[in-house]
Amino acid sequence: MADDPNSDVNGNGRRDVAVPMELYKSITVFSTLLAVVFVLLAFVMFDAATLGRSFVRGVVRDAFGVVGLSVGGQPLTIAFALVGFAFLVTGSGIYILGSRFRATEMGNAKHEAGEE
Amino acid sequence: MSLERKDDHDHKGWMKERDLTPVESVYLTVLMWLDKRLRIVDYLEILEDLYYKVNMQMPKSHTEQYNLDNKFWYWYPLYALGSFSTIAYVVASVSGALLGFYYSPAAAGASGSPTVAYEQITFIMTDLNLGFFLRSLHRWSAQVMVAAVFLHMLRVYFTGAYKEPRELNWIIGIVLISLTMVFGYTGYLLPWDQLAFWAGQIGVEMALSVPVAGEWAAQLVFGGFTLTHATLQRMYILHVFFLPFIATTVIAIHIGIVWMQGIAEPH
Repeated sequence: MADDPNSDVNGNGRRDVAVPMELYKSITVFSTLLAVVFVLLAFVMFDAATLGRSFVRGVVRDAFGVVGLSVGGQPLTIAFALVGFAFLVTGSGIYILGSRFRATEMGNAKHEAGEE
Repeated sequence: MSLERKDDHDHKGWMKERDLTPVESVYLTVLMWLDKRLRIVDYLEILEDLYYKVNMQMPKSHTEQYNLDNKFWYWYPLYALGSFSTIAYVVASVSGALLGFYYSPAAAGASGSPTVAYEQITFIMTDLNLGFFLRSLHRWSAQVMVAAVFLHMLRVYFTGAYKEPRELNWIIGIVLISLTMVFGYTGYLLPWDQLAFWAGQIGVEMALSVPVAGEWAAQLVFGGFTLTHATLQRMYILHVFFLPFIATTVIAIHIGIVWMQGIAEPH
């Protein structure tokens, strides 16, 4: 990877991929959007895990009831908490992954310090 | 700028010639798929374009031109006081209109019992759902409006915003601060408790102390030289009928002139 002039590991040991400006805009907009949505969903799940009268919790409990299953409160809480953490990690991951891309025009601190 | 797609960048071909990790390829493919369908970026670019175009048409302000922002910035929050007064007025109007459903301006009670007006206030404060809140909101917004209008006047004075060509609006502002205080006074008398009654007494005596026109003014405003049902009736109709129309009209003119002339540069 280091032989590709446009993608390399820079001084901080962070991978850095140069992409066209148009693609960079899509990455910024959609990765931020997805990250926000996932973090919000994570908090909805945490609510469902900890709040007895949570809407999501009620819906899931009823859905199990419809198919004739009754799920105890404890397993439901654990499941919601785990899903919540998964969403949180996913959201952070999307955001972090988005931060390694930069537009070719932007330059980076190490190589093109004199730019601007 | 149109929403017509510009010449499509060959993302797929571009990605093949790059040395991307599998995670990166999937990531970019997903985001590009979303981009092609939701096109949020295009709309954001339109907004960005609009933002710059709008700003290009704005002339530099006086403070920007002479680099005075560093000396003047602490005045800027005070430029919100006019809006603040208007918001207080709107809040008072809405809460006052709602209170009007329950208040009744009758000074006559059965012998030895409180007046109807006072009993209605008691009803609003103790029995009516959210009545305490409603009356408090009305009272507080009224107090806030008086304070904000006064501070707004100080701001206009000390930044020199009253100067030519804004003298007319300054005069209108003086009319408005007077109307605000009459609003406050008439509203103050409406509960018809001890506080209101003796405030009314002071008002009558102040009117009577004026030479020549005093007795006429007292008759006109208070309906007599002593406080009676007529006084309460007049205060009520001034508060809920006359002043709202007059004040709203004058406020509209005041704001309209500000709109036409623009915010004054600090002098």
